[in-house]
Amino acid sequence: MLSVARVIEKEELAERCYYLLLLEPRLARQSMPGQFIHIRVGESYMPLLRRPFSVAGASPESGTVQVFFRVVGGGTRLLSALRRDDSIDCLGPLGNGFKSGRVTGPSVLVAGGIGVAPLLFLARCLVREQKKVILFYGAQSSGELLPVKRFLPSGVEINLAAEDGSTGYAGTVTAAFSEAVERGLRVGEMFACGPRPMLKEIVGLNRQKWSFPLQVSLEENMACGVGACRGCAVAVKGSGESAYQRVCREGPVFDAAEVVL
Amino acid sequence: MAELAVELGPLKLKTPVLAASGTFGFGEEYASLVDLQNLGAIMVKGLTLEPRAGNPPPRIMETPAGMLNAIGLQNPGLAGFLNKELPRLRYYGVTVIVNIAGDTEEEYVELAEELSKTEGVAAVELNVSCPNVHKGGILFGTSALLLENLVKKVRHSCRLPLIVKLSPNVTDIAEMAFVAEKHGADIISSINTLKGMYIDVARRAPYLGNITGGLSGPAIRPVALRMVFEIYKAVKVPVIGMGGIADVDDALQFFMAGAAAVAVGTANFVHPPTIPSIVSGLRSYMEAEGLTALEEIVGIAHR
Ligand SMILES: Cc1cc2nc3c(=O)[nH]c(=O)nc-3n(C[C@H](O)[C@H](O)[C@H](O)COP(=O)(O)OP(=O)(O)OC[C@H]3O[C@@H](n4cnc5c(N)ncnc54)[C@H](O)[C@@H]3O)c2cc1C
Ligand SMILES: Cc1cc2nc3c(=O)[nH]c(=O)nc-3n(C[C@H](O)[C@H](O)[C@H](O)COP(=O)(O)O)c2cc1C
Ligand code: FES
Repeated sequence: MLSVARVIEKEELAERCYYLLLLEPRLARQSMPGQFIHIRVGESYMPLLRRPFSVAGASPESGTVQVFFRVVGGGTRLLSALRRDDSIDCLGPLGNGFKSGRVTGPSVLVAGGIGVAPLLFLARCLVREQKKVILFYGAQSSGELLPVKRFLPSGVEINLAAEDGSTGYAGTVTAAFSEAVERGLRVGEMFACGPRPMLKEIVGLNRQKWSFPLQVSLEENMACGVGACRGCAVAVKGSGESAYQRVCREGPVFDAAEVVL
Repeated sequence: MAELAVELGPLKLKTPVLAASGTFGFGEEYASLVDLQNLGAIMVKGLTLEPRAGNPPPRIMETPAGMLNAIGLQNPGLAGFLNKELPRLRYYGVTVIVNIAGDTEEEYVELAEELSKTEGVAAVELNVSCPNVHKGGILFGTSALLLENLVKKVRHSCRLPLIVKLSPNVTDIAEMAFVAEKHGADIISSINTLKGMYIDVARRAPYLGNITGGLSGPAIRPVALRMVFEIYKAVKVPVIGMGGIADVDDALQFFMAGAAAVAVGTANFVHPPTIPSIVSGLRSYMEAEGLTALEEIVGIAHR
């Protein structure tokens, strides 16, 4: 599960948002949508711990995996300085991915910010399963939106939202999706990934109003990434030891009905 | 061939490099990543009588060359450990040391008693040093009197080799080691994490769900090393040294300070094969220096 990947491509695609294409055939073969890789961003002790990133695409044919990341601190800044042919130490693929069911309506993906990364991979797989896929994707402003069209098959319907009104729906992606539901959007199953407040809102609305089958991909600070340290806890409904589960092991994808956000 | 097996009083280990409690889960988590045969032993996650849910998140935060954790002893409880985790650990063929914690003396005693009856447990490590629970635990490790009573009682009911894991959150760790030895500890392990905290400036509030946490990783190594150095002078029983060890050079510093074995914690998260690489590094070092046993350098920095 530990491997060295080679950087094939690196590109800044939106404000502080980068695309990485890595060559590592085993990762490419084994990764499923929703899983993540735990990357050691440098050799020094600053930062010390690995950083988790969703697999945003995997091609067993070319042996490559895609990662999208947003620079938020020291670790991601180091990643942004990677160059073609650099090597990086990756642990993975880790965690449990999305589970798509037999549904009658379209599969709807709701993405906030860099949370779009795992959903791009999922969208491609769902399209391959002949499902109708609708993506809602929002950020603060148009400058922060990745050119997702380039990474999606043509069948996917894309709805953009920018909170500052610079493109698409003027408001949050949650509001864009809510309005669409009110206007009669059919939803067979739903997948969401983004900042915690956004997920909290969507899970809350789903509980109160919609009751769609909903899976969310969660983030929590991680140390080991493999389930050993119990550091990445998320509260789940239950008692005793099972009051918390591990985002890195039981997750990062959870059934929205099970987690307490 | 350099001999890596060590005897820590009554406890025999295949190699002198152990996995520190709480950082290697119950072995299963790392079984596909690390050849467990290299481990002197796994010190499993702190075990309590009843299952514990642990602290509210966030539970970890990175700090310069280290990390804070406030897991809060999330564990499956004695029954869960015996039924599920221990059989799997035995299957891996790795030496198992059980780290135990409790709110009361009785809880420690009962755990030690039960584990003494259990096949497949090589030793008990008394965790009197967890900074992340609010009752028991660290209290026993920061008062010489409480420690004395606890070690006495546990010693009485424990037929396995008894390790006492000391807290660095005291003024004089050597005194605590002396007390532990005097009342029956076969081995001292040191150190547990240093109590610390992190404040989220944007939220103007403590970052960790538990408010404070325990600092580990390379950041604490000089402190841990100094403590092992002091403990070595104060006691005759063997010492398992830990705190920030990430490579063979770090490990050698601890042996020279007086550790008879070392444990690796946080570094496992960064580089899962850290223990095997330290083991092979030690072998090379011994061959290069013409040592037949590691013992020859244990405490050598004192001479
Ligand atoms: C399962 C999983 C998948 C992820 N996938 C992606 C991905 O595909 N692309 C991507 O860009 N990021 C992803 N993240 C988040 C990413 O891991 C963090 O942004 C990264 O670790 C930050 O490291 P840093 O050293 O740059 O920032 P740090 O210096 O560690 O932190 C800087 C600031 O960023 C914030 N931050 C740090 N870690 C996180 C986190 N885990 N979540 C939210 N905010 C955080 C903190 O508020 C902190 O103040 C994922 C996280 C998880 C748990
Ligand atoms: C996430 C985490 C969990 C830990 N849990 C325990 C525990 O349950 N019992 C215990 O005695 N020590 C626990 N420790 C302390 C370690 O065993 C070790 O003493 C300490 O981390 C110093 O070593 P290191 O710097 O190599 O990590 C934990 C440490 C970490 C980082
Ligand atoms: S990060 Fe260690 S258990 Fe999830």
